[in-house]
Amino acid sequence: MKTKFMALTALGLAIAAGVLLAQPGKPGKVRPINPSNAEKVSYAELDQLPDWRGIWQPNLGQIGGDQPQLLGKYKKHYEEERAKVAANPHYEIPEKVNNCEPPGMPTMMTMPYSLEFVFAPGKIIVNQEAEMMVRRIYTDGRSLPKDDDIDPNYFGYSVGHWEGQTLVVDTIGTRAGQRLGEPGITNSDKLRINERIYLDKDNKNLLHLDYTFTDPNVLAQPWHRNHTFRRDRTWEILEYVCDENNRHPIDANGQTQAAF
Amino acid sequence: MRSILVRAVLAGLLAGLSGLASAHHSFSMFDQTKQVTIVGKVTEVQWTNPHVWIFLDAAPKEGGKADHWGVEFTSKVHLTRRGFSEDMVKVGDAVEFVINPYANGKPGGRFVAVKMANGTYYCDVGQAAMAFCQNDKK
Repeated sequence: MKTKFMALTALGLAIAAGVLLAQPGKPGKVRPINPSNAEKVSYAELDQLPDWRGIWQPNLGQIGGDQPQLLGKYKKHYEEERAKVAANPHYEIPEKVNNCEPPGMPTMMTMPYSLEFVFAPGKIIVNQEAEMMVRRIYTDGRSLPKDDDIDPNYFGYSVGHWEGQTLVVDTIGTRAGQRLGEPGITNSDKLRINERIYLDKDNKNLLHLDYTFTDPNVLAQPWHRNHTFRRDRTWEILEYVCDENNRHPIDANGQTQAAF
Repeated sequence: MRSILVRAVLAGLLAGLSGLASAHHSFSMFDQTKQVTIVGKVTEVQWTNPHVWIFLDAAPKEGGKADHWGVEFTSKVHLTRRGFSEDMVKVGDAVEFVINPYANGKPGGRFVAVKMANGTYYCDVGQAAMAFCQNDKK
């Protein structure tokens, strides 16, 4: 019995050590517990939040806003790609999503599939049905990290707060080269995304997402885009594994091959 | 200001047609100016993401040699929500498919509409598909 206890203790220590070693950060640095991960949190605060239950389907082709004022090589790239499309309807702007790679932010919010918002104390989880993407928005009062403290990633680092019934989110730390707004426009590692997400004042089954993209390398001035989504309370998110049966290989030029 | 918004909406619409409407690849590999009707028997149904596939041994209705064709639908997710289920077209069924063929000439293409074994049609949601099912199928 004692031996078994010691074995379990050793196992526990090994797991704990493994967990510690697996965590990012400088060795020996004591990291604070994030409020949203505390042992005790208040679920009562969630009752104050608006009803965003159900899933939200994008209203495709109804994008408002202004035109991007592109800079330098980003402008040149966009114009070249649009010219190729205009010259050849079978040209496809090379993007990693064509090969089943998740597009990350900001595109994950406006794919032609459904979104789900899950409110939890101190954080909001956003599930995007397409490619089963997950995003975390921290609402526990933390600040955005410094740029240098983020390892750039697909979804970046998002911090949000409520202004009345509007969720305001700032995101930094997305990888350079992801789609920004539409195919052919990409972001640099200085992209900052501001989102204002709210229910329509007259139609509670309509959700607004107002984007402001700021990127000093890509955009001469902030670019605003407005998207809307309609609610469906009858469906749940469905599974979508892009690699389940992707029969279209991409060639060296990023073109999807019609082969099966 | 209004004209800017209109232009942006138009740009969004065009972008939607070219890329944003797809979560995977664009529609550039298909010849969307053409519709081909193929007639034959279903050999395989792949009820999967990112696309549902139905394969059939078939020949073009307008004439041409028989071949093994692949018909590419949207995702299982979208088809499920649009009321198309796995058992509506089965292996062995005699069917007619209308497709936008691959631009490279391979025997296959994008699903537009199907006349199923029971004689009823199921149509895709795009403008061309709806136009076919409203006007052309008879």
